[in-house]
Amino acid sequence: MIPATLSPSREAPLLRQHLRAALFIPELRSRRKSSALEEMVEAVASAGVTRHPEALLDAVRRREAMGSTGLGKGVAVPHARSTVVTERAVLVARSTKGVDFSAPDGLPAHLCFLIVAPPLDRDPLYLTLLAEIVRSVRLAKTRQRLLDAPDFAAVQRHLVEAAHAPE
Amino acid sequence: MPLNDTVPEPLDVLVQLQDVDTLLRELRDPEMVSQEEKLGFAVTSLASLERTRDRLASQVEGRLLQTYERMSRRFHRVIVPVEGRVCTGCRISLPTSAGRRNSEGATYELCENCGRILYRG
Repeated sequence: MIPATLSPSREAPLLRQHLRAALFIPELRSRRKSSALEEMVEAVASAGVTRHPEALLDAVRRREAMGSTGLGKGVAVPHARSTVVTERAVLVARSTKGVDFSAPDGLPAHLCFLIVAPPLDRDPLYLTLLAEIVRSVRLAKTRQRLLDAPDFAAVQRHLVEAAHAPE
Repeated sequence: MPLNDTVPEPLDVLVQLQDVDTLLRELRDPEMVSQEEKLGFAVTSLASLERTRDRLASQVEGRLLQTYERMSRRFHRVIVPVEGRVCTGCRISLPTSAGRRNSEGATYELCENCGRILYRG
Protein backbone atom coordinates (compact mmCIF):
# COMPACT_ATOMS: atom_id res chain seq x y z
CA MET A 1 0.00 0.00 0.00
CA ILE A 2 1.06 3.59 -0.45
CA PRO A 3 2.80 4.60 2.79
CA ALA A 4 1.03 7.38 4.69
CA THR A 5 4.19 9.40 5.23
CA LEU A 6 7.37 9.78 3.26
CA SER A 7 10.01 12.37 3.85
CA PRO A 8 9.91 15.13 1.24
CA SER A 9 12.99 15.46 -0.89
CA ARG A 10 15.05 18.57 -0.22
CA GLU A 11 17.03 18.00 -3.37
CA ALA A 12 16.40 19.38 -6.83
CA PRO A 13 13.13 17.98 -8.17
CA LEU A 14 14.37 14.78 -9.72
CA LEU A 15 10.93 13.77 -10.94
CA ARG A 16 10.54 16.98 -12.96
CA GLN A 17 13.79 16.25 -14.79
CA HIS A 18 12.45 12.90 -15.91
CA LEU A 19 8.96 13.86 -17.08
CA ARG A 20 8.65 14.23 -20.85
CA ALA A 21 5.65 14.66 -23.11
CA ALA A 22 6.90 11.79 -25.27
CA LEU A 23 6.66 9.56 -22.20
CA PHE A 24 2.97 10.12 -21.50
CA ILE A 25 0.14 7.79 -22.48
CA PRO A 26 -3.15 9.62 -21.81
CA GLU A 27 -5.19 6.42 -22.08
CA LEU A 28 -3.83 2.88 -22.17
CA ARG A 29 -5.46 0.65 -24.74
CA SER A 30 -4.77 -2.49 -22.72
CA ARG A 31 -6.55 -3.64 -19.61
CA ARG A 32 -4.42 -6.70 -18.92
CA LYS A 33 -1.17 -6.14 -17.05
CA SER A 34 0.96 -8.05 -19.52
CA SER A 35 -0.21 -6.11 -22.57
CA ALA A 36 -0.25 -2.81 -20.67
CA LEU A 37 3.42 -3.32 -19.80
CA GLU A 38 4.08 -4.09 -23.47
CA GLU A 39 2.33 -0.88 -24.49
CA MET A 40 4.33 1.16 -22.01
CA VAL A 41 7.64 -0.36 -23.06
CA GLU A 42 6.78 0.27 -26.69
CA ALA A 43 6.26 3.97 -25.86
CA VAL A 44 9.56 4.08 -24.00
CA ALA A 45 11.29 2.63 -27.05
CA SER A 46 9.57 5.12 -29.36
CA ALA A 47 10.96 7.91 -27.17
CA GLY A 48 14.48 6.58 -27.76
CA VAL A 49 15.17 5.27 -24.26
CA THR A 50 15.98 1.82 -25.61
CA ARG A 51 16.54 0.26 -28.99
CA HIS A 52 15.80 -3.19 -27.62
CA PRO A 53 12.24 -3.16 -26.25
CA GLU A 54 11.93 -6.93 -26.14
CA ALA A 55 14.86 -7.22 -23.73
CA LEU A 56 13.49 -4.36 -21.63
CA LEU A 57 10.05 -5.94 -21.50
CA ASP A 58 11.65 -9.16 -20.24
CA ALA A 59 13.36 -7.20 -17.45
CA VAL A 60 10.14 -5.40 -16.45
CA ARG A 61 8.18 -8.65 -16.41
CA ARG A 62 10.86 -10.41 -14.38
CA ARG A 63 10.72 -7.68 -11.73
CA GLU A 64 6.95 -7.90 -11.74
CA ALA A 65 7.16 -11.66 -11.18
CA MET A 66 9.20 -11.04 -8.02
CA GLY A 67 6.32 -9.14 -6.43
CA SER A 68 3.61 -6.97 -7.86
CA THR A 69 4.36 -3.29 -8.22
CA GLY A 70 0.70 -2.45 -7.76
CA LEU A 71 0.72 -0.23 -4.69
CA GLY A 72 -3.01 0.03 -4.18
CA LYS A 73 -5.34 3.05 -4.33
CA GLY A 74 -5.29 2.76 -8.12
CA VAL A 75 -1.54 3.21 -8.55
CA ALA A 76 1.13 0.92 -10.01
CA VAL A 77 4.83 1.66 -10.37
CA PRO A 78 6.45 -1.07 -12.46
CA HIS A 79 10.20 -0.59 -12.58
CA ALA A 80 13.34 -2.29 -13.80
CA ARG A 81 16.98 -1.69 -14.52
CA SER A 82 18.24 -3.11 -17.77
CA THR A 83 21.42 -3.22 -19.81
CA VAL A 84 19.50 -2.04 -22.86
CA VAL A 85 18.29 1.22 -21.29
CA THR A 86 20.36 4.23 -22.26
CA GLU A 87 19.04 6.70 -19.66
CA ARG A 88 16.82 6.80 -16.60
CA ALA A 89 13.23 7.53 -17.65
CA VAL A 90 9.70 7.72 -16.26
CA LEU A 91 6.64 6.98 -18.34
CA VAL A 92 3.24 8.11 -17.06
CA ALA A 93 0.18 6.23 -18.26
CA ARG A 94 -3.49 6.49 -17.38
CA SER A 95 -6.29 3.98 -17.67
CA THR A 96 -9.91 4.96 -17.11
CA LYS A 97 -11.04 1.35 -16.78
CA GLY A 98 -7.97 0.29 -14.84
CA VAL A 99 -5.35 -2.42 -15.15
CA ASP A 100 -5.17 -5.30 -12.69
CA PHE A 101 -1.72 -5.14 -11.06
CA SER A 102 -2.65 -7.52 -8.23
CA ALA A 103 -2.50 -4.66 -5.76
CA PRO A 104 -2.91 -5.49 -2.06
CA ASP A 105 -6.28 -3.71 -1.95
CA GLY A 106 -7.47 -5.52 -5.08
CA LEU A 107 -8.20 -2.29 -6.94
CA PRO A 108 -7.14 -1.86 -10.57
CA ALA A 109 -4.46 0.72 -11.39
CA HIS A 110 -5.66 3.89 -13.07
CA LEU A 111 -2.26 5.57 -12.83
CA CYS A 112 0.85 3.70 -13.93
CA PHE A 113 4.41 4.97 -13.70
CA LEU A 114 6.99 2.87 -15.51
CA ILE A 115 10.51 3.62 -14.29
CA VAL A 116 13.44 2.25 -16.26
CA ALA A 117 17.14 2.81 -15.74
CA PRO A 118 20.48 1.42 -16.82
CA PRO A 119 22.11 -0.95 -14.31
CA LEU A 120 24.56 1.56 -12.87
CA ASP A 121 26.15 0.33 -9.67
CA ARG A 122 24.33 1.57 -6.60
CA ASP A 123 22.31 4.18 -8.46
CA PRO A 124 20.78 6.14 -5.56
CA LEU A 125 18.72 8.33 -7.87
CA TYR A 126 16.71 5.32 -8.99
CA LEU A 127 15.32 4.81 -5.49
CA THR A 128 14.91 8.54 -4.97
CA LEU A 129 12.83 8.70 -8.11
CA LEU A 130 10.71 5.77 -6.93
CA ALA A 131 10.19 7.54 -3.61
CA GLU A 132 9.25 10.84 -5.25
CA ILE A 133 6.61 9.16 -7.37
CA VAL A 134 5.15 7.21 -4.46
CA ARG A 135 5.08 10.40 -2.41
CA SER A 136 3.48 12.44 -5.19
CA VAL A 137 0.43 10.17 -5.47
CA ARG A 138 -0.21 9.56 -1.78
CA LEU A 139 -3.20 11.92 -1.67
CA ALA A 140 -6.54 11.09 -3.25
CA LYS A 141 -6.98 14.65 -4.52
CA THR A 142 -3.68 14.49 -6.41
CA ARG A 143 -4.56 11.17 -7.97
CA GLN A 144 -7.90 12.59 -9.10
CA ARG A 145 -6.20 15.69 -10.53
CA LEU A 146 -3.83 13.49 -12.49
CA LEU A 147 -6.71 11.48 -13.90
CA ASP A 148 -8.63 14.64 -14.81
CA ALA A 149 -5.66 16.54 -16.24
CA PRO A 150 -6.37 17.59 -19.84
CA ASP A 151 -2.80 17.27 -21.09
CA PHE A 152 0.76 16.34 -20.22
CA ALA A 153 1.63 19.85 -18.97
CA ALA A 154 -1.10 19.63 -16.34
CA VAL A 155 -0.03 16.13 -15.31
CA GLN A 156 3.55 17.33 -14.96
CA ARG A 157 2.51 20.32 -12.87
CA HIS A 158 0.36 18.28 -10.49
CA LEU A 159 3.02 15.61 -10.04
CA VAL A 160 5.83 18.02 -9.32
CA GLU A 161 3.74 20.10 -6.93
CA ALA A 162 2.65 17.00 -5.04
CA ALA A 163 6.14 15.53 -4.88
CA HIS A 164 7.49 18.61 -3.17
CA ALA A 165 4.54 19.67 -1.07
CA PRO A 166 5.04 19.67 2.73
CA GLU A 167 3.43 16.85 4.68
CA MET B 1 3.78 -5.07 -31.33
CA PRO B 2 6.96 -4.33 -33.28
CA LEU B 3 9.44 -5.48 -30.66
CA ASN B 4 12.29 -5.75 -33.09
CA ASP B 5 15.87 -4.57 -33.40
CA THR B 6 16.99 -7.12 -30.83
CA VAL B 7 20.57 -7.43 -29.64
CA PRO B 8 22.31 -9.83 -32.03
CA GLU B 9 23.10 -13.39 -31.01
CA PRO B 10 24.85 -14.53 -28.89
CA LEU B 11 24.74 -11.38 -26.81
CA ASP B 12 20.97 -11.22 -26.41
CA VAL B 13 20.99 -14.08 -23.92
CA LEU B 14 23.95 -12.53 -22.14
CA VAL B 15 22.09 -9.21 -21.85
CA GLN B 16 19.19 -11.08 -20.24
CA LEU B 17 21.61 -12.88 -17.94
CA GLN B 18 23.14 -9.59 -16.81
CA ASP B 19 19.68 -8.10 -16.24
CA VAL B 20 18.77 -11.10 -14.09
CA ASP B 21 22.04 -10.71 -12.17
CA THR B 22 21.26 -7.01 -11.64
CA LEU B 23 17.84 -7.87 -10.24
CA LEU B 24 19.24 -10.68 -8.07
CA ARG B 25 21.86 -8.31 -6.67
CA GLU B 26 19.18 -5.75 -5.82
CA LEU B 27 16.88 -8.27 -4.21
CA ARG B 28 19.72 -9.81 -2.18
CA ASP B 29 20.69 -6.39 -0.87
CA PRO B 30 18.90 -5.99 2.49
CA GLU B 31 19.10 -2.20 2.30
CA MET B 32 17.59 -2.08 -1.17
CA VAL B 33 14.83 -4.54 -0.28
CA SER B 34 14.10 -2.60 2.90
CA GLN B 35 13.73 0.65 0.96
CA GLU B 36 11.50 -0.96 -1.68
CA GLU B 37 9.30 -2.50 1.03
CA LYS B 38 9.14 0.84 2.83
CA LEU B 39 7.80 2.34 -0.39
CA GLY B 40 5.14 -0.36 -0.55
CA PHE B 41 6.62 -2.85 -3.01
CA ALA B 42 6.39 -6.53 -2.20
CA VAL B 43 9.28 -8.89 -2.89
CA THR B 44 8.76 -12.64 -2.88
CA SER B 45 11.07 -15.65 -3.10
CA LEU B 46 14.06 -15.47 -5.40
CA ALA B 47 13.96 -19.18 -6.23
CA SER B 48 12.29 -18.78 -9.61
CA LEU B 49 14.66 -15.97 -10.56
CA GLU B 50 17.63 -18.15 -9.66
CA ARG B 51 16.22 -20.90 -11.89
CA THR B 52 15.86 -18.38 -14.71
CA ARG B 53 19.49 -17.43 -14.22
CA ASP B 54 20.58 -21.07 -14.48
CA ARG B 55 18.51 -21.55 -17.64
CA LEU B 56 19.95 -18.46 -19.32
CA ALA B 57 23.51 -19.34 -18.33
CA SER B 58 23.09 -22.77 -19.90
CA GLN B 59 22.23 -21.09 -23.21
CA VAL B 60 25.42 -19.01 -23.40
CA GLU B 61 28.35 -20.45 -25.32
CA GLY B 62 30.97 -21.80 -22.90
CA ARG B 63 33.85 -19.45 -23.56
CA LEU B 64 31.66 -16.36 -23.61
CA LEU B 65 30.02 -17.44 -20.33
CA GLN B 66 33.46 -17.98 -18.78
CA THR B 67 34.47 -14.48 -19.79
CA TYR B 68 31.24 -13.06 -18.37
CA GLU B 69 31.51 -14.93 -15.06
CA ARG B 70 35.17 -14.00 -14.64
CA MET B 71 34.57 -10.33 -15.41
CA SER B 72 31.48 -10.19 -13.20
CA ARG B 73 33.76 -10.69 -10.20
CA ARG B 74 35.30 -7.30 -11.10
CA PHE B 75 32.35 -5.40 -12.52
CA HIS B 76 28.61 -5.41 -11.99
CA ARG B 77 28.20 -4.40 -15.62
CA VAL B 78 30.16 -6.77 -17.78
CA ILE B 79 28.28 -6.33 -21.03
CA VAL B 80 27.95 -2.67 -21.98
CA PRO B 81 26.79 -0.72 -25.00
CA VAL B 82 29.16 1.21 -27.23
CA GLU B 83 28.24 4.85 -27.77
CA GLY B 84 29.96 6.16 -30.85
CA ARG B 85 33.39 4.64 -30.33
CA VAL B 86 33.33 4.83 -26.54
CA CYS B 87 33.05 1.88 -24.15
CA THR B 88 30.33 2.97 -21.69
CA GLY B 89 31.91 0.81 -19.01
CA CYS B 90 35.24 2.64 -18.72
CA ARG B 91 34.54 5.65 -21.00
CA ILE B 92 37.67 4.95 -23.01
CA SER B 93 37.60 5.50 -26.75
CA LEU B 94 37.95 2.27 -28.60
CA PRO B 95 39.70 0.70 -30.80
CA THR B 96 38.46 -2.63 -29.67
CA SER B 97 39.98 -5.97 -30.37
CA ALA B 98 38.86 -7.58 -33.59
CA GLY B 99 35.61 -9.42 -32.88
CA ARG B 100 36.09 -12.79 -31.28
CA ARG B 101 34.38 -15.69 -32.89
CA ASN B 102 32.40 -18.19 -30.86
CA SER B 103 31.70 -21.77 -31.81
CA GLU B 104 28.59 -20.80 -33.75
CA GLY B 105 30.39 -18.21 -35.77
CA ALA B 106 28.82 -15.14 -34.17
CA THR B 107 31.16 -12.41 -33.03
CA TYR B 108 31.50 -10.27 -29.99
CA GLU B 109 34.03 -7.67 -28.97
CA LEU B 110 35.95 -6.92 -25.81
CA CYS B 111 37.08 -3.48 -24.70
CA GLU B 112 40.85 -3.41 -24.93
CA ASN B 113 41.06 -1.21 -21.85
CA CYS B 114 38.71 -2.79 -19.29
CA GLY B 115 37.93 -6.12 -20.93
CA ARG B 116 34.15 -5.67 -20.80
CA ILE B 117 32.00 -7.31 -23.46
CA LEU B 118 30.70 -4.73 -25.90
CA TYR B 119 27.52 -4.58 -27.87
CA ARG B 120 26.35 -2.01 -30.35
CA GLY B 121 23.49 -0.29 -28.46
